[in-house]
Amino acid sequence: MRTIPTDPDELAAIAGEYVLGTLDARAARMIEDALPTHADLLALVGEWEHRLAPLSNLALPEAPPPELWDRIAGQIEPPARIATRPRFLRLWQGWAIGASLAAAALAAIAILPSQQDQRVMTVLVSDRTQTAWTAEVDRQGGLKLASVNAPGGTEINTSPEGKVLQLWALPPGATAPTSLGLLPRGAGDIKIAAPAVKPVPGMLIEISLEPPGGSPFGNKPSGPVLFIGRLSAAGPAT
Amino acid sequence: MQSEADLGDLLEKVAGKDQAALRAIYVRQSTRLFGIAMAILRDRVAAADVLQDSFLRVWQRAGQFDRTRGEPQVWLGSIVRHAALDAVRARGREIPTDDPGLGDSLVEPDAIDSISAADEGKRLHACLERLPEANRQGIVLAFVHGLSHPEIATKLDLPLGTVKSWIRRGLLSLRECLS
Repeated sequence: MRTIPTDPDELAAIAGEYVLGTLDARAARMIEDALPTHADLLALVGEWEHRLAPLSNLALPEAPPPELWDRIAGQIEPPARIATRPRFLRLWQGWAIGASLAAAALAAIAILPSQQDQRVMTVLVSDRTQTAWTAEVDRQGGLKLASVNAPGGTEINTSPEGKVLQLWALPPGATAPTSLGLLPRGAGDIKIAAPAVKPVPGMLIEISLEPPGGSPFGNKPSGPVLFIGRLSAAGPAT
Repeated sequence: MQSEADLGDLLEKVAGKDQAALRAIYVRQSTRLFGIAMAILRDRVAAADVLQDSFLRVWQRAGQFDRTRGEPQVWLGSIVRHAALDAVRARGREIPTDDPGLGDSLVEPDAIDSISAADEGKRLHACLERLPEANRQGIVLAFVHGLSHPEIATKLDLPLGTVKSWIRRGLLSLRECLS
C-alpha cells in the first residue's frame, strides 16, 4: 500500500488495521503522517481506538520501575530540580475511597525483601482505581496487607455484605493458585503469619470476591478477581 | 470518587503545563499503562523507555486531547500502545513467536472474559465470540501482544494470506456488530 485509500470501506479497514497494530512500519508511518490533515481518517481511527480499547484489559497491570517518574520529571523540567524520593504512598493517600466495590478502582502493592535486600514488588490497579493495598513480606516470611489510602485504623476490607475477599498466590510454573486465606473484616492491617506458599519474584497475587467461607472450588477463585499482579524486582530496599 | 471526568480534568491541567497533574495521572495510570507496554514488549527496560516517551508525549500533546471525542483512558492507552508498537517495529519484531512468555505467562488469547467488565467491554466480548476462533485469537494477539501478520500466522499455524484476510474480515464484522 503506497497511498491512503479513497474508498470508504478500504479507509475504514486500514484505520482498523492501524489501530490493531498489524500495519508494517512504513504503512503505519503513512497513516500517522496523514492523521493531522485527514479528518475522515482521524475520526475512523478514533472510533477503532474506542471499539477495541476493552482489549487492553487483557494486559496484566504491572508496576513500572520505581525510578521512572523521576526520569520523566527530569525531562519535562530539566533545570534546578529538587531531588525528592518518590512518595507514592503519600500521593495515594489523597485518593477518594469508593463507595461501592463494583465501581471501586483497586490497587495493591506487594513488597518483599529478598536475600540481597532487593525490594520485589508489584502495583495492581484496575481500570478505575480507588482503593489501594500494600502487601509486604516480612523477614519471617509473613505477609502483611495494609491499605494505602485508608491509613490509621480504617477498615480496609470493604467487601460488600454477604461477600468475602480471598487472597491467592500462583507461583511461577504452577497451574493452579493456592489460597492464602480469607481477608478478615475489621480495622487496621491484616497479617498472614505463615502463607501457604513462599512469595517469590514472578509469583502472581490475586484477591477475589467470594461467597462466605471462600471459593467453593477450593483451588481457584469462583468470583471476580479484583486485584492481580506479578511480583518483580523493584530496586534496593529502603 | 475518582472518575473518567477527573482524568480529563487532569489532562486539561497538563495542557496548561501543570506538572503535578501529570504526576497524578502517572500515579493513577502508570501500572495499567506499563502492563499494556509489557504485553507487547515483554522487556521491562524497553517498556520503561516506552512509558517514559509516552508520558513526554502526553506532556506535549495533552492540549490535543478532546474529551468530546474520546475517553482519557482510551487516549492514554493508545499513546502507549502505538509507542510500544513503534518500538517493536524498530527492533524488527525479533521476538520469536514460540516465546514461552507469550500466551501462558501473559494472557491466553482465549481469556477474553476479563474484557467484559464494563458495558462496552461486554459488547466487544459478545461480538468477538461470534468470530471464528482463529480470527478472534489473531485480533487479540495483534492488539494485546503486538504480533505482526507473519507472527500470528506462525503462532496459529495458518497461511499468511489467510491470516491477513481473516483479520481484516474480522475487524469489519466487529465494526458491523458494534455499530
